[in-house]
Amino acid sequence: MVRVVLLAVYLAVVAGLAGILETGAEDVYMEATRPDFQKIPIGVLGFRDGGEQDPTGERAADVLKADLRRSLVFSVADLLKLGIRLNGKLDGKESVDKKTFQSALEQGISVLVWGKFAAREADLLMDGFVYDGGTGDVVADRRYIGTASVLRQMAHRFADELVFRYTGEQGIARTKIAFVSELNNSREVFIMDYDGYGARQLTADGHLNLMPRWSWDRRYLIFTSYRARTRQFIDMIEVATGKRWTLVSFTGLNITPALSPDGNHLAFATSQDGNSEIYKMDTNTKAFQRLTFHQAGDLSPTWSPTGREIAFTSDRGGGPQIYVMSADGSNIRRLTFEGDYNAAPVWSPRGNWIAYVCRTPEHQFKLCLISPDGQKRVRITSGPGVDDSPSWSPDGRHLVFSSTAEGKSHIYIVNSDGTELERITSGGVAHTSPSWSPI
Amino acid sequence: MRTRYPATALAALLGVLILLGAGCGKSIQANSGSKSYEPGARRDVTTASMRTTSPTGGAMSSGSRQLEAGRQPDMMARSGDTGSEAGIEPLSSSAPMPSLSSIDTAGPGVSGKRSDEQRVPGELLVAKSEPADTSRRRVEEMQREQIATAAAGLEDVFFTFDSWQITNEGKQTLMLDAEWMKANPARAVTIEGHCDERGTLAYNLVLGEKRAKAVQTYLMELGVSTRQVGVVSYGKERPFCKEHDESCYQKNRRGHLVLRGE
Repeated sequence: MVRVVLLAVYLAVVAGLAGILETGAEDVYMEATRPDFQKIPIGVLGFRDGGEQDPTGERAADVLKADLRRSLVFSVADLLKLGIRLNGKLDGKESVDKKTFQSALEQGISVLVWGKFAAREADLLMDGFVYDGGTGDVVADRRYIGTASVLRQMAHRFADELVFRYTGEQGIARTKIAFVSELNNSREVFIMDYDGYGARQLTADGHLNLMPRWSWDRRYLIFTSYRARTRQFIDMIEVATGKRWTLVSFTGLNITPALSPDGNHLAFATSQDGNSEIYKMDTNTKAFQRLTFHQAGDLSPTWSPTGREIAFTSDRGGGPQIYVMSADGSNIRRLTFEGDYNAAPVWSPRGNWIAYVCRTPEHQFKLCLISPDGQKRVRITSGPGVDDSPSWSPDGRHLVFSSTAEGKSHIYIVNSDGTELERITSGGVAHTSPSWSPI
Repeated sequence: MRTRYPATALAALLGVLILLGAGCGKSIQANSGSKSYEPGARRDVTTASMRTTSPTGGAMSSGSRQLEAGRQPDMMARSGDTGSEAGIEPLSSSAPMPSLSSIDTAGPGVSGKRSDEQRVPGELLVAKSEPADTSRRRVEEMQREQIATAAAGLEDVFFTFDSWQITNEGKQTLMLDAEWMKANPARAVTIEGHCDERGTLAYNLVLGEKRAKAVQTYLMELGVSTRQVGVVSYGKERPFCKEHDESCYQKNRRGHLVLRGE
């Protein structure tokens, strides 16, 4: 009987997800809050590592739980509170007794995961197991191997596999965030995990290095460099080797690079014509094409996921506002009318929203979303401080941005409906310009 | 992500298979085989694609000076005309310019029954790129310029919020600056446009440039030679004052005159 009910739940979940996946540009729901979306209750029993206190296991479980929560696919049950715990030794696939499964099922938890750690020569082995109430069986076990330094990555990978197993979508637990840190008078590019761990420095030249953007294969970052006096180059750096190329070297400011969805064009703003205009460069032939022709400042291009349209900031109407044009520069229309300062647009990878920085009537700079037809608009952050540089997660369910809400600028992530705001950087150094990597 | 329908179909198929219980493991595994998500495999796809595009890349970079940033700094000569303008040349790594076309990567593995161990690679390799000599020289040059500027007594001009109009007070200041410039025709200044911390990073860069260019234009109207005045915008990235109040904002909305080295 339980099995039949679960069957129905499963079909509903799968159908619901299919709905999200197929609606495409017409969908104006905010995915994170789709009223018909039922999160899958999941319990993380824990990871045994052989020791008394299981510090490795606890860390892995914490990383996994946080990933599952951020996936917005699962609701992570508090098993201890429900009295569901590991009995005896938990060291393999058969180590959880039927009573534990039964007890979890009765409390509505349809998926249980656990695992164990072991050492093998210099490596750490992590086994992960998935019990599924739908089949009443352990339906998957995985083994990950790596050095102890990749413990978090193992848990991230397990989380992504769970997300894929239950949704058919790729999880974001192994994505990265590029950002800029203030070091003395310079700004250097760094990379960290999507949860703020494992930050590493990429540039170290003592100049301003601003607004990094990822290539689609995550091998390169494209950013503005102040290493010369008369112009600011758009450079590209290979993450693994530090090799650098210059993509744009016009006289003046060359800023806000944005790769088209097919990677064949780089849109950016340059002031070589006297004021800031949007150009695009064919990344294969290096041919340039000017897209805007206006004495006002045009900047911050962002591509629609189809590659057919580009949204951008322009102050042609006075203060900065968001405009949309076709990718050849035609059909320019103004998108935002509310408020006197709207800038830094970024088009959602799902196509249904454009996030941007909006100035509130209280003169705070916060994050807003607007649908590309201008019909729906919503502000998703509030409070003091300047929110800046929003960037979408590749699943379109989260945004990363910088904010001075707590004094110094730090990096935050937030669900696209404004819930679950989470600061992911700390310390006394200002961090700005985050950019979420592709999957 | 881009191929949504097959992913959906796979999800639905999976859901059904999971429910059918016994024996489903093998079917899932069969599905997962083609979608195995191994970074190693993904790298191979990328490499293969890079290989096919490398002839184009090679042709593109063949005409330009080659520099492997940080490793062969000697190959980076100073730019031709002004000895002090270091690092002005575009960088072109010795490797061919890579293709940026998006490559449709394989999806992640579906966790069916375990087939193989997955090696989780050492973290994403990040090379800290050491500065080229030209970058170092430019930093030193900027420090010397600061000292020279302080000695010359050139005054800065200030702006109101979100504006690049030169105020009457600013015009008075610039008249004095222009006198100095005309009396020292061999010297040149860079006008730095700065903004307060409000507003976005990107828009402030553009606003800072408008301020710098407004100052440049006014100095030229006063008879200063074009050759003597360059501009750069720092937006809100190089504030003079770091408090979060109006008196501080006021100090940061400025056109800052920096005397270049002789």
